[in-house]
Amino acid sequence: MKPDAGDNRDDAVLAVHNLTKVYGDQTVVDDVSFELGRGTITGFLGPNGAGKSTTLRMMLGLTRATSGTAWVDGRPYGDLDNPARRVGAVLESNDFHPGRSGRDHLRILAAQSSLPVDTVSQALELVGLTKAATKQVKTYSLGMRQRLGLAGALLGTPRILVLDEPANGLDPAGVHWLRGLLRDFAQLGGTVLVASHLLAELAQTVDRVLILSGGKLRADTDVATLEAEGRSLEDAYLALTSEQTS
Amino acid sequence: MRAAFGAEVLKLRTTRTVLSLFLAMLGLVVLAVALHGFGLPARDLAELSSQRRVLIAGETVGAVFAALLGAMSITAETRHGTIRPTFLGIPDRRAVVAAKALTSLLLGLALGLVATATAAAVGALAFATRDIPTQLNSADYAQLIAGGALASALWAVIGLGIGSLVRNQVGAIVGIFIWLQIVENLLIDSMPDISRYMPGSLAQAIAGSQIGALGSPVAALLLLIAYAAVVLLIGTTRVVRSDVA
Repeated sequence: MKPDAGDNRDDAVLAVHNLTKVYGDQTVVDDVSFELGRGTITGFLGPNGAGKSTTLRMMLGLTRATSGTAWVDGRPYGDLDNPARRVGAVLESNDFHPGRSGRDHLRILAAQSSLPVDTVSQALELVGLTKAATKQVKTYSLGMRQRLGLAGALLGTPRILVLDEPANGLDPAGVHWLRGLLRDFAQLGGTVLVASHLLAELAQTVDRVLILSGGKLRADTDVATLEAEGRSLEDAYLALTSEQTS
Repeated sequence: MRAAFGAEVLKLRTTRTVLSLFLAMLGLVVLAVALHGFGLPARDLAELSSQRRVLIAGETVGAVFAALLGAMSITAETRHGTIRPTFLGIPDRRAVVAAKALTSLLLGLALGLVATATAAAVGALAFATRDIPTQLNSADYAQLIAGGALASALWAVIGLGIGSLVRNQVGAIVGIFIWLQIVENLLIDSMPDISRYMPGSLAQAIAGSQIGALGSPVAALLLLIAYAAVVLLIGTTRVVRSDVA
């Protein structure tokens, strides 16, 4: 199932083994395994309802796996000492209290993870929200909310980023900025897992793709390998995700 | 745990929820005590029990608002999705609920103090203005205020437990209102033997109410503590076990 993943098992910072989630009689995530190493950006692709979000939630300790394991830096997420210092995650684009300012939202995240206060200003600066920081989140555009979510994820200067649809709502300049941010992050040795059902935004950014459909991992391949075979990411995606319905 | 507590305090300080509910509570207490204190015929306010009945509004209103704030400390997080970043930062959900229990307890105590003290002041003013001799001595006032504040603090924890179980914000708020304002009032008349062991009646007994209440305020306090502990325990278990979508 993992032909040319190219990462060293000992180096895996995110390791998912036989991860399965069953709700009632429905298997939402079905025996999914993959490992991600340092300095890589991996796209997690699949149609809506493929099980991407459930997989991410199991990896981050929000949802309990029916079976299988998901480890971060060699431990289950819930056993990490101060997870914000290792993993930054954005799962939804609007996980904010509408009546709270962007700065206060970040101050709370800093407080709960015992991070220095100045990390808040730095994160706001990094995502370009310094000016809007004292305004209530309800006045923010979707793009600004995505940036605020990212600021929260980056607050603890983690080495791992897990993002669900981070480009949703960003304007073209924002998408360009996000790509640069993720590339820089990986170049410094960080690991990025980014889930999306939009292909165009990802194709130029990711090194590797995991394609999930109907809860099963249909492909785990380097983008370079696809290109060498003369297949586009889109062709591979459509071929793999349509199999499941037949 | 200290970090979780600090974050909870910041959450309360960075929205207008607490201030809005505080002002609403204050308005209701003043209204309820003034309406009865100035409005009822003087002969209906002559007895100690009838005067207490007016002033107890501080405790009953304070406890409702304390319960609402306790419930909202968790239901607002579910509603707005902040529960995700909260649990991502602190995967130990027991620590999160424990921090919420502590902040709710303290906030409930503060709200209860303000509510009961305001009720006592407005009531005393009403009686004095109308030359109705006050039947409450200083010990009665102390129990009314301190007991009412303690009862409100415990009701804040009960609210948190209910919010953890129900999770839907509107459902939790409506449920608390219906229980305290309707169900327990019906029980007082229809089933007094059961009613006096119900958490709303216990809260009134702690503040000194004699109406259908448990005779001993200390026993009422201990029983209400037990209620709060059990509801919080069940709510915590639910929060720990359930998946966050």
